[in-house]
Amino acid sequence: MTRAVDLGVIACEGCELVMQAPRDVDGRCPRCGETVRSRNPRGASRTWALLIAAAALYVPANMLTMMHTEQFPLRRSDTILSGIEFLWSEGSWELAMLVFVASICVPLVKLLALGLLLVTSHRGSTWRPRARTKLYRVLEVIGHWSMLDVFVVTLLTAVVQLGRFASVEPGPAVLPFAGVVVLTMLASASFDPRTIWDGAA
Amino acid sequence: MPDLAICSYCDTVHRRVELTERTTARCVTCHAPLYRTHPDLGAMLAVAITAAIALVIANTFPLVTLTSQGQQTQATVWRAIAVSYDQNLPFVALVLTITLVVAPILEIGSLLWILVPLCAGARPLGFATVMRALRALRPWRMVEVFLLGVIVAVVKLSALATATPRWGLYGVAAVTIALAALASFDPGALWRRAEQVAR
Repeated sequence: MTRAVDLGVIACEGCELVMQAPRDVDGRCPRCGETVRSRNPRGASRTWALLIAAAALYVPANMLTMMHTEQFPLRRSDTILSGIEFLWSEGSWELAMLVFVASICVPLVKLLALGLLLVTSHRGSTWRPRARTKLYRVLEVIGHWSMLDVFVVTLLTAVVQLGRFASVEPGPAVLPFAGVVVLTMLASASFDPRTIWDGAA
Repeated sequence: MPDLAICSYCDTVHRRVELTERTTARCVTCHAPLYRTHPDLGAMLAVAITAAIALVIANTFPLVTLTSQGQQTQATVWRAIAVSYDQNLPFVALVLTITLVVAPILEIGSLLWILVPLCAGARPLGFATVMRALRALRPWRMVEVFLLGVIVAVVKLSALATATPRWGLYGVAAVTIALAALASFDPGALWRRAEQVAR
């Protein structure tokens, strides 16, 4: 395998134009104007910062109430998890599984996987680089699916306004939850997968 | 060096080979997709126009209506945004606006902006800027997640009252399918096509 870093060539991430470039020198792509750089020296610390912030928000996102439901004379407050239990018992188990995967598994997998990628890249690990690259590509694809519950809660709030008979209100967990999704998306975007291979070569 | 292709995931350098019938070239080292066959611009334009029409339907018609004891309420994308704002959740309202309105409108608009001139054999105005905007916006478009959200909401509502899916929901579904079909295009191939046109 021949790597661009070793040949002294670089491809623009925006338009794929291949050009000559010395390592770690920043410039702009002559064709599309995108910033071109071999490696971003501060990329990893940026990813760490976003990841730690996301992990901190993950706690209130799961502990606090996501949604208040009032159906006279009953009133209930659901966290993400109890909302899933409710969906399991009242609605359908398929959707309960779906929400469980999107709201609980996806953010957790993203936090753990990005942490793993950062640590192994930092150590110059030679452990299964192809599998780690695949893991990163999976993160890119599943990243935004955890926004599901935010959409569900806001939709329910918008539609359930039947006077005193029934109403739905978003709880305090909605904000940190949306924060986790946005921060983990920014974190995985700022991670450079090429660093997985820098130590492996 | 137009004959080289560099994998953006692992930095492996490849010599470009001409692809036959609708295939994807993959990286020899990490198996990530490298590039695809030249896009059929006419087909892409047709799908983009479909997406634009579906987006108008998705954003103007109600997604679901709820009927209980003679009262009827309905949810639209705009109402969901307005309600989040009213509930003191401006950040959530902003996220909804960007992911459901701004990103898809700009994505479909940019595609039309690029594809109409390219199909007519002209180089689009501000091609570089529009292509960069497309790349920056793509991760933040969440119409497909919203579609699933509407379906989950309909199921949850069925426990409460009579919930009926409306035209807006089918609009969201059509936007999702059309954008998924367009997402498989290769920006590098569009760039090469634009350069051919310029000469």
